[in-house]
Amino acid sequence: MGEVILTMKGIDKSFPGVHALDHVDLEVRKGEVLALMGENGAGKSTLMKVLTGIYKKDSGSITFEGKEVEFDSPRAAQEAGIVIVHQELNMLNHLTVAQNIFIGREIMKGKIIDDARMNQESKKLFDRLNISIDPTEMMGNLTVGKQQMCEIAKAISHDAKVIVFDEPSAALTEAEIEELFKIIRDLRDKGLGIVYISHRMDEIKVITDRVTVMRDGTYVGTLITKECTKDDIINMMVGRVIYEDPKTESKVPEDAPVVLKVEHLNAGKMVQDVSFELRKGEILGFSGLMGAGRTETARALFGADAKESGDIYINGRKIEIKSPEDAVKNGIGYLSEDRKRYGIVVGKTVAENTTMASMKDFMKGIFINKKKEDEVAWEYVRSLKTKTPTVDTEVVNLSGGNQQKVVIAKWLTRNCDILIFDEPTRGIDVGAKSEIYTLMNELVAQGKSIIMISSEMTEILRMSDRIVVMCEGRKTGELDISEATQENIMHMATQRK
Amino acid sequence: MAGKEKKSNVLAANPLLAKIGGQRLVVLLVIIVLFAFFCIKSEAFRQYSTILSILDYSYYITFMAIGVTFALITGGNDLSIGTGMVCYALIGGYVVTKLGMPVGVGMLVTVICGLLMGVLNGVLVAILEIPPFIATLCTMMIARGLGPIAAESMSVTWPQAGTPQGWFRSLFKITIGDTKYPMGFLWIVLLVILMTIILNKTRIGRYIIAIGSNKEATRLSGVNVIKWHILAYVICGFFTGLAGIAYAATFQAVAPGTGAGLELDAICGAIIGGTSMKGGSGSIVGTLLGVFVMSMLKTGLPYIGQQANMQQIITGIVLIVAVFIDVIRSKKQK
Amino acid sequence: MSGLWPYVQNDKISNHVLLGGRKLEKIKQNPIVKKIGFNRIILAGVLVLMYILFGVMCSVMGRASFFNISRIYSALNYTYFLGFLALGVTFVIATGGIDFSIGPVMFCSALISGYALTKMEVPLGVCLLVSILVGTLFGLLNGYLVAYWDMPSFITSMASMMLAKGIGSVFTKTQSVSWPQATEANGWYRSLVKITSGGSIIPTGLIIFIIASIICAIVLNKTKAGRYILCLGSNKEAVRLSGVDVRKWEALAYVLCGMLAGIAAIFFVGAYSTVQPGLGDTYNNEAIASCVMGGTSMAGGVASIGGTFIGVLIISLLQEGILAMGFQKDFQYVITGIIVLVAVYIDNRSRKRKN
Repeated sequence: MGEVILTMKGIDKSFPGVHALDHVDLEVRKGEVLALMGENGAGKSTLMKVLTGIYKKDSGSITFEGKEVEFDSPRAAQEAGIVIVHQELNMLNHLTVAQNIFIGREIMKGKIIDDARMNQESKKLFDRLNISIDPTEMMGNLTVGKQQMCEIAKAISHDAKVIVFDEPSAALTEAEIEELFKIIRDLRDKGLGIVYISHRMDEIKVITDRVTVMRDGTYVGTLITKECTKDDIINMMVGRVIYEDPKTESKVPEDAPVVLKVEHLNAGKMVQDVSFELRKGEILGFSGLMGAGRTETARALFGADAKESGDIYINGRKIEIKSPEDAVKNGIGYLSEDRKRYGIVVGKTVAENTTMASMKDFMKGIFINKKKEDEVAWEYVRSLKTKTPTVDTEVVNLSGGNQQKVVIAKWLTRNCDILIFDEPTRGIDVGAKSEIYTLMNELVAQGKSIIMISSEMTEILRMSDRIVVMCEGRKTGELDISEATQENIMHMATQRK
Repeated sequence: MAGKEKKSNVLAANPLLAKIGGQRLVVLLVIIVLFAFFCIKSEAFRQYSTILSILDYSYYITFMAIGVTFALITGGNDLSIGTGMVCYALIGGYVVTKLGMPVGVGMLVTVICGLLMGVLNGVLVAILEIPPFIATLCTMMIARGLGPIAAESMSVTWPQAGTPQGWFRSLFKITIGDTKYPMGFLWIVLLVILMTIILNKTRIGRYIIAIGSNKEATRLSGVNVIKWHILAYVICGFFTGLAGIAYAATFQAVAPGTGAGLELDAICGAIIGGTSMKGGSGSIVGTLLGVFVMSMLKTGLPYIGQQANMQQIITGIVLIVAVFIDVIRSKKQK
Repeated sequence: MSGLWPYVQNDKISNHVLLGGRKLEKIKQNPIVKKIGFNRIILAGVLVLMYILFGVMCSVMGRASFFNISRIYSALNYTYFLGFLALGVTFVIATGGIDFSIGPVMFCSALISGYALTKMEVPLGVCLLVSILVGTLFGLLNGYLVAYWDMPSFITSMASMMLAKGIGSVFTKTQSVSWPQATEANGWYRSLVKITSGGSIIPTGLIIFIIASIICAIVLNKTKAGRYILCLGSNKEAVRLSGVDVRKWEALAYVLCGMLAGIAAIFFVGAYSTVQPGLGDTYNNEAIASCVMGGTSMAGGVASIGGTFIGVLIISLLQEGILAMGFQKDFQYVITGIIVLVAVYIDNRSRKRKN
């Protein structure tokens, strides 16, 4: 481990309503791999975006190679030698590998691009990394893993001194990860500083030298990887203190009937042979890391995406769900994680959104019964305590929590018995959060059943009666709330095949 | 998946096939089959003059199609080309016939008009971020009006062949002795080669493809996407200007108010040739072949007893089929 | 919340430039103004101003007076068929799509039914139905291709534009068709446009157009079909995930549009008698211009029949004014193009500001 190449000190960053980074420190040394860990929303990506000039910091300082720096664009950071390999790949599928690596700085021979030289240079680059990719292959034809390698090659070709890997293994196969690690070790041995962001505990142990842990936008601490255990890291990530009381035992009566049974659901790579049961009056928590396949499971169940196989039973009766229409007819409602895109029609009013799924009940002959529509909309505005001036207000003017209530109202109007809440409190402020929780508890008390997908551990532990844990498209465990702890959920969620 | 790989392996194994590309090969076959079909069905078709008229028809469409291929590759479109081409030919012809300028100046004016329209389209799309089909629809309307206004609502007759100023017509069809030679085809071949090089071997083409593939990623790579995006439309406008000259040279007179619908022949040709409406991929050679499919159909059908006005129906049907194939193709790639 | 002038609502600077922001806000909050819609009032004002402007221009240029009732009737002739086209395409634009086939479809309807009437001696009533049927069939084709096959609407409708032109020409063997005059046998359909009795003229077409507009406004705002069309134009995926069969409703918009183009054909021949094959595409642009001017957003989800109504009047007046001043019709194309560009640009900008 060499000298310090990059120091971030006291980095502070706020967005409207969110204190995303609260005086965070980070130190990267030459020839080391530093893991940056934390739960979803801990602020890891924000910190890296501040580093590479995508966000502007509010206060704090960044020192790179002994000089204080501030980058105003990713390009400026690149030129200085700090490169980020993004989680979502920025690839041009219609160009070849070499053309991608050299985009924006092509090697020219007069007015003509010297593709032959670019291919040679790329080949040299790949040889240096010991990977075999044909530079003339179309980027779109490569596997995600290979694309990742190209992204890394592109980063190195910029003469990088610090490379940030943002969850690089999320989409890679076992063999590809091996290859990736070899490259990372290689780069480390050449004296580069590496920042490795990941959720995966086993990887951290294998590849990194030090671990810096963040939680809720703050810096928690740094450990030497060799000297700590998995549990040490998990404890730092989740924290000992839990602000909300977790449920200690299931509130569902022993004899509650099974309302929904899913058997051997398959839909692509992200949903592999998932089976579970949901009982009347139950909140079934779905836990797992990002990309575990929970949303995909919910969408396949709801008919939003095509499924390959799997049986669905409602109240013991086998049903066919081919489209959301079928699901809604059978009393299933889905509250998407991405409200603005999949939940509400932002340009329309509260009343229009409330009755969206159940227009049939609001017709007087061929006309819409506006009076009844308004009445019902008002009813839900009052009972859900939605903050809106009128029911004719466009939903775009409401806050996130109130938009969520409008979506809930939509499904309650339809009288759905099974509700899928996908990240119900994402982007919602603290006060509204507990209102949503109260509401969910009231709903199950009324005999509705809820599937709740959540990436927040505290939310899972506070709300669920039972917990299904997923990892990489498979169900890796099921726990009753009485036996669930943050630690054992985390272990299940990182149980890779 | 496996089948697709196998197929591409077969293609890759044969360097010649790989060079030409699968779709283009199919299109080439279609042209040959169509040609053979018409030859068998109609005696009148089996004549040199038929080939000449197929080529005559294809010049101006090919020019437009080469241009619009660039707009399509960015993921956009240009609906103004058909009406625009006639508009520029009217203006250029007016300069020659009414203002008494030499025909060379008229040709220059025609091309400059196309360039200006290309700049306008590019600015509307790349800077003002108006959806390409709406922006170019509007410029199409503007061109629809400007042409007749400039030409005072009269047909414009560019100088005829044989007259001193008529030399420009022999740029496309030259008569030596009793035989007519399709000179235009030579230009087409040269331009196809040139534009293929520009598309595949220069920064212009590289960045235009990159914009169509993923504009944001291209921007993040430090490429001035606005400049190159505009340039794609300027190229399209330039070729529409050339098409205007070819149009003027092919027909006796240019009538105001015509030209609408011709853009579809060009777009259709490009899509048949394998250029995707989703952007990011395209081929100039493919476009050329696609145009020949269109002109073969349009010239050939009257010979087997179909009315000439079936042509519009053919454009419509072929367009639906071509776009449908494109939609399926893009879905598969996803 | 629709309109050509959303920048007046959203842009503080132009508020101040125009009337002074607060005063304008006050006007907008006036219940009557709110009911009618501020944008539509401005649009109506533009209409009146244009009328006066054309009058002044005509007298300045020493041409026959524009303030003549015959000018209004002449402009109205243009209003009827354009109005039906614009009403129809309003539904399609509301879904976020576009239909470039309406003009040629209108001509195709008029040609086929007119040919049946004059050459095949089919009864007039049947011919009128045929006209509507032909339009509806084209609407079905567009709707099916766009909604069920996921084809881009602009290129699909351009293809059916070619089909309409071609079928019209083939059917009539490239001959133009002249529908009978009011005084001839089978001329009663003309009373749909206007009834001349003694010296006075009753503009029945205007009455029918107003009724049709009201029906369309009701369908768009008060029925399930209209609700779903507007919502899916705004966010198709969210509506689909609410368990709605979005394809059906999207296709319906195109069918309505086609049907109204078929009706437009009747009013076209009712006013102008003669239809030629191979034409009609310039009317697409004028119909679309009427819509976007009236506050219907090209991005979908926002549409106003009232706005379209006034938009149609403005375009009709524009074309009449240009003719009255002795200019060629071609100026109208240029102006229409610029109108659409400006309207779409303003709409884009105000939406970006909103988000």
